[in-house]
Amino acid sequence: MPSPSDTKAAPALVVDRIACTGHGICASLLTDEVTLDEWGYPVVHTSAVDPELGDVAVRLCPARALAWTARP
Amino acid sequence: MTPDLVDLLEDSGLTGRGGAGFGTAVKVRAAVSAGATLIVNGCDGEYGAVKDGYVVAHHLDELVHGANLLGRNGIRYAAHRGSRTESLLRAAGLDVLSVPQRYVSSEESALVSLANGGLARPMTKRVPVVFGSTAPDGRSLPPTVVLNAETVWRVAQIADRGPAWFRSFGTADEPGPRLASVSGAVLAPGVVETAAGVGVGDVISAAGGAARSPGGVGLGGLSGGWLSPAEADGAVWSRAALAAYGFTPGPGTVHVLGEDECPLQHVSTVLDQAAGESAGQCGPCMFGVPAAAEDFALLAAARLDQGGWHRLRERLGLLPGRGARRFPDGVAGYARSSLRAFADEVDAHLAGGCSVTYASRRAHAVAV
Repeated sequence: MPSPSDTKAAPALVVDRIACTGHGICASLLTDEVTLDEWGYPVVHTSAVDPELGDVAVRLCPARALAWTARP
Repeated sequence: MTPDLVDLLEDSGLTGRGGAGFGTAVKVRAAVSAGATLIVNGCDGEYGAVKDGYVVAHHLDELVHGANLLGRNGIRYAAHRGSRTESLLRAAGLDVLSVPQRYVSSEESALVSLANGGLARPMTKRVPVVFGSTAPDGRSLPPTVVLNAETVWRVAQIADRGPAWFRSFGTADEPGPRLASVSGAVLAPGVVETAAGVGVGDVISAAGGAARSPGGVGLGGLSGGWLSPAEADGAVWSRAALAAYGFTPGPGTVHVLGEDECPLQHVSTVLDQAAGESAGQCGPCMFGVPAAAEDFALLAAARLDQGGWHRLRERLGLLPGRGARRFPDGVAGYARSSLRAFADEVDAHLAGGCSVTYASRRAHAVAV
């Protein structure tokens, strides 16, 4: 079982599905990495996201549903 | 809770009987270090599961003994509101957590939320709940370890009889006796005591055997999948063997379809029920599951056109990984496995027919 301090894995951009309300800001910013499904919810295609652009997406998510699994 | 018990659990190789199959010793060791309170999950949350109720009804003394060995920081027993299990636990004077009847309500983090005054809805888990969790309103919730009722009963047995006894059942990788809940077209539906490594056919035989020629076997409920009759004939009942089909025995549910039941109609009914089970939190679950269920109903009614067939497969492929608590993953995998196991039946339905005449009539009546 991973412990809270166990954050050695490469940082990946993840969507908190409970918090996400489908604003779509992430898909507008990360056009190659994130697309929206038919209901407007994000599909993250790769965890290899440019750190700076990813930071912007995290900061601008109105639902605060986007996060890094670990700090890049 | 003594360190000795953790060693016994380690030696025994006990894994959680709630479906995920995580090592109990690892979980209990974390619970000890975090000072976690214990929730004994007796909800039988998976479709077709009745074994937790069986443990409470027939082995309550040992269950309570196991819980007392584990839960030095408080113990609650979770059961569905209004269930027989709930009344038996109350009659024994135990502290009962009354859980609403909904698929996701008895999920680990949903129980922790409910136990702390929140709703019985899954929470975002950034760390395992045994290390504490954060409620949607930002409150910190105390460390809590959730163990399935059968798991807690096995802990008492291991403490009493030892790891060697435990390991004399099952396989080296999946040791110990385990319960299966067998339903559908069998002569004696209910709970049977068995172990990993036996044939799927042996589990069915233990429940009196198939009542008529089987038309398919569903394993692991809504989080599991389907075997065709031919596959079920030779299949071994274990995580290792069923991995080839993309699912696990889960919490040990086995549903036998009769050859006179249209498997796609059965799956469609289950998906319709699943579509109503969402906690209303995640888009993919709120919208994706009902959409897939609608297309599946058309397929079962032999009224799905080529465009719909493409859309259904696309949706079932899109859903995995997209719902909190993996609910849509489970549903998508369940539906996909039925398309694989009953591929001939799918072809017949896409061609506008159903080889099970009775089901075809019924499906048509439903669709009209």
